[in-house]
Amino acid sequence: MSSRLFKQPALAAGLFALIGFCGQALAHNPMCECKAVEDGQIRCTGGFSDGSGAPGVTLDVIGYDETILVPGKLGADSTMTFKRPDSEFYVLFDAGPGHIVEIDQADIEAP
Amino acid sequence: MSKAVAAQPASSLSRLWHKWRFHINILLLLVPLGFMPKYFADASLFRGDSGLGERDIGTVQVGPWSLQLAELRNEAPRPDGPAGYMKSFNAALCDTCIDQVKAAYLRIGKPRSLRAAGVIFFGTPYRMGATLPIPERTKADAELWITLEGWDGSMHQASIPLSQASPTTVAWLTKQGGKP
Repeated sequence: MSSRLFKQPALAAGLFALIGFCGQALAHNPMCECKAVEDGQIRCTGGFSDGSGAPGVTLDVIGYDETILVPGKLGADSTMTFKRPDSEFYVLFDAGPGHIVEIDQADIEAP
Repeated sequence: MSKAVAAQPASSLSRLWHKWRFHINILLLLVPLGFMPKYFADASLFRGDSGLGERDIGTVQVGPWSLQLAELRNEAPRPDGPAGYMKSFNAALCDTCIDQVKAAYLRIGKPRSLRAAGVIFFGTPYRMGATLPIPERTKADAELWITLEGWDGSMHQASIPLSQASPTTVAWLTKQGGKP
């Protein structure tokens, strides 16, 4: 296979050119998505942009007055489900200092 | 040795290849030359020879400290899959505050708390980098907030208009129509 490849320099050059176009830096930025599910519950899913999950990562539900309403950690499936608080809140996916995602209550999709 | 097998008539493509293959291969050697200006520009940018970034934002005073900010690329935010659009900034702490500052953070809009101060700068204090997510619904008059955390536990914040920090990002947001 490879000997055949090198007998066709144009093909080989084309393949190497394609490798060069393989895109930008492979970052792994944190990401989190919350959706309202049935019975006034909210389910949040965390992860990283390289496709990896985030089991065990802290996810807190915090009130606008900075009190922690629901402290929690993501489960083995990288999700956490909690009851929607009565007061105003935001969700903080916290994978360490500077690796956070904030989701305001206004940005949580209805079912 | 007898030539029992009659030679196949060569196709026109094959004849073209055999006639020109030497010249075509020389052309292939020239292809990398076209990429060289960008390669050397990038090498100089990442080595720091051409400054902190492609576009200097200037020095920002943050409480008793200051830092120099720059856009790594003078261009609109780049998409990073499901994490959304990202924009990279570089920063250098002032010489006297290097020993005093523990961490630097960047966020669009005023942070709610130190825990939610935004993305953290990493790297040497002379040249730190941070990749900031730009929500598509960001308003064009948004502000970029810089939070510095000291080893003594103090925290200082400052903000600059996003239009000053990255005109290309504001132009991109305006073109997007500022999604609600």
